[in-house]
Amino acid sequence: MTAVAVVRSIALVGLEPHPVRVECTRASGLPGLRLVGLPDTAVREAGDRVRTAIQRAGLTWPQDRLVVNLAPADLPKVGTGFDLPLAVGLLAATGQVPVGSLAGLFAVGELGLDGRARPATGSLPAAAGARAHGARRLLVPSAAASEAALIDGLEVVPVDDLAETVAVLRGERPARRAAPAGVAPAGTGPDLAEVRGQPVARRAVELAAAGGHHLLLSGPPGCGKTMLAHRMRGLLPPLAVDEALEVAAIHSLAGERAPDQPLDLEPPLREPHHTASAAALVGGGSGIPRPGELSLAHRGILLLDELLETPRWVLDALRQPLERGSVVITRARARVVYPARVLLVAATNPCPCGHLGDPLRACACRPDRVERYRSRLSGPLLDRLDLQVDLRPVDRRHLLGPPDGEGTATVAARVLAARQLAAERWGRPALVATTPTARIRPTVRPAALRALADGLERLGRSARAFDRCLRVARTAADLAGSELVTTEHVEEALAYRLPSLEPAR
Amino acid sequence: MSDRLVAACGEVVGSGTDPGALARVVSWSVRPRRSPDALRRAARDHPDDTVAAPSARLATLAGPPRDDDAGAALPLVRAWADAGVRVALVGDPGYPPRVAEGWPEVDAPAWLAWRGHPDWQAPAVAIVGARRASGYGTAVAAWLADAVARAGVRVVSGGALGIDAAAHRAALEQPGGTTVVLGCGHAVAYPRPHATPGRLFDRIVAHGGAVVSEALPHQPPRAGPVRARNRIVAALADVVVVVEGGARSGSLLTAGASAERGRTVLAVPGDVRATGSAAPHRLLAEGVAPCTGPDDLLAALAAVGVPRRHPDGDGTAGGAPPGVAAAPGPPSTLPPAARAVLARHWPRPVRLEDLAIEAALPIPTLLAATTRAAVAGEVVETVEGLRLRRAPAPGR
Repeated sequence: MTAVAVVRSIALVGLEPHPVRVECTRASGLPGLRLVGLPDTAVREAGDRVRTAIQRAGLTWPQDRLVVNLAPADLPKVGTGFDLPLAVGLLAATGQVPVGSLAGLFAVGELGLDGRARPATGSLPAAAGARAHGARRLLVPSAAASEAALIDGLEVVPVDDLAETVAVLRGERPARRAAPAGVAPAGTGPDLAEVRGQPVARRAVELAAAGGHHLLLSGPPGCGKTMLAHRMRGLLPPLAVDEALEVAAIHSLAGERAPDQPLDLEPPLREPHHTASAAALVGGGSGIPRPGELSLAHRGILLLDELLETPRWVLDALRQPLERGSVVITRARARVVYPARVLLVAATNPCPCGHLGDPLRACACRPDRVERYRSRLSGPLLDRLDLQVDLRPVDRRHLLGPPDGEGTATVAARVLAARQLAAERWGRPALVATTPTARIRPTVRPAALRALADGLERLGRSARAFDRCLRVARTAADLAGSELVTTEHVEEALAYRLPSLEPAR
Repeated sequence: MSDRLVAACGEVVGSGTDPGALARVVSWSVRPRRSPDALRRAARDHPDDTVAAPSARLATLAGPPRDDDAGAALPLVRAWADAGVRVALVGDPGYPPRVAEGWPEVDAPAWLAWRGHPDWQAPAVAIVGARRASGYGTAVAAWLADAVARAGVRVVSGGALGIDAAAHRAALEQPGGTTVVLGCGHAVAYPRPHATPGRLFDRIVAHGGAVVSEALPHQPPRAGPVRARNRIVAALADVVVVVEGGARSGSLLTAGASAERGRTVLAVPGDVRATGSAAPHRLLAEGVAPCTGPDDLLAALAAVGVPRRHPDGDGTAGGAPPGVAAAPGPPSTLPPAARAVLARHWPRPVRLEDLAIEAALPIPTLLAATTRAAVAGEVVETVEGLRLRRAPAPGR
């Protein structure tokens, strides 16, 4: 009986890394390879790839029965990342690689038939998982090395192909060092000063960025909704490195990130098309569900254009994740949790033709159609949009004149200051939008609370808007550098709503 | 079956209406392809001098109900009862005399069903116009309705969004009622934002007004009946003002019906380029008098014999320049600069962005101020922007 060679690897269930032991041994019996331990199709196919790769690398494929167990055997394994550990394990089991070189070694990567190593999706979360589970060295395909090297405290060994892997493990060749991908500077996006006019929407964008409030922009086509949303990204404070790593890990898992791409400290901005399915937005897919747009926008902005063209059930699927800040997808074989703390920016036309309230182009919609269109906005999702702004087409004189608003840097500085004020008050970084109102209330002047209750009633708004306005008022106070929320802040907060088609009085 | 129907009718009839006659007319009307108007035409084409009262004439023509018709009519009458509706047949004491005038030659509905407190005798002005109204149109409608209601005159209009609603809302702020004429049945929630419990129609009923319909309770708002209700609006009013309407607007039908009934018609001039000016401008071209403010309207009322009266004034305020009536209002909650801009643009709404520029106020301050003013009822927010709720005094 020969020894069992063990190479360790990482199986990702969602973002959660699980250590996997790839145990390889030779047994007596007919020549062949038997793979056990819940491999999926891609993993089962690894046998064929590994066999060819070993032969092409000039190594020997033993004429023995080879048994490979992926332990823990009850964890489902998916993807092609087990090719590399499998090859190394088999070579160690057949004495072509010293077993001693496997101590503390993790390997993740796919092999081609010619022995070339290719990155599998999710190299970054896999590397983070490997370190968390005690890896000292991580073998990764060269293409994924700079991504994996973003993880501190882990020796990342890039390999081009199986031959190089063997040479490194035999000590015939020194291991190369992987250079981390580096950090991309933030603040390279489009500038807010490019937006002309729209002072109310600008203010709303500033409040949204400062407090993390979800935002609804309603306005005719071409009035600058998308432009504003894109510039909002530059207003958010840059991500801390660990936050950026978390974001990059999700993108790596979804295959949305080039492995050599520098670590982006700018918050992500995702803008799925309104025909995107519910699964595309919140995540899903067969086997282990993939992260959706909501998770890809984690710690950043999710821009939903044409909100009312999005089917109702798709919007409903967003509700709970927005509330929890994470997406939970439960499947028969796995339960996956993806983070999804996004700032939702929704844009919509005010009516089906888009010109309601436009002084230049008359709206061509029948009033009952407008009413029906609008009624789709109401409901639980609308309740989560703290700030609602009605935009109008920009006047020509604003387009021709000099830039009439502040630039990104000025506003971003105020946003940062407001966030710091909130963090000092509550003793930890906290977004106003996700702070329970019970904690906000003590910072509100009693007169302001009365004004809010009174205003909601007189303006015919539901009591559900109370918390929303309170939070926006808190952010307005933070932006003004005021410790207490005053009546003026509350009154401003009350103004961020769409004009009703039918006034209450 | 017939007895139960008559008993049910007994619960909904207005003063002086015979439940048996109502049961007969309703049963006749429930059959497909029959309208109560056929009874009127029959009465017109076959005069019968032996039966004097129009309602009795209708009942005779309708004849005793067949059992299945009575069975079909019973839930309808019960629906009326559930909605708290009263019904009167044409010519009965509960039926507005000015609508019944000229029956059967004139197309007056066989019955009227109403909720609330109709005051058929009170002088009334119909303020009618398009659903797709501009901010200018709704502002003028509200201005006129406010002045009319202050003068103790009832406002009559349809129940639609736009001009109709603006007129009713403004009138609701004064004592005295307004009358809504529906284009559908009482049990149909249309238009939804108004018919929803607690919204405009309920507020009108609670404020001494009435909601009137000539339809069976479940009749949907189809184009024909909705247009036909315009003749009731015209019949209920002494003077009719057309505020805004397209080239094929129902307002023109109202104006036509008004002319047939000899009511005075006025038209509010609008923006020459706006599609909503087509109807009033066409009326003006046809020789209808322009209505350039409450004065014209009150003068027209006086001309048809409605005495000028001002409940909270000296009896002459109706003829005073616009704004004087609104002068003793509460002090403004708006910054003077913003108030001045809104007053300058009134009755057109001003976009917030423009207000910020013209009044030179920072956005947070301005938003807080406009919210305060909206809460205080000084400004109205429309999809086109903000405007003062009341006409500003000249020079203020």
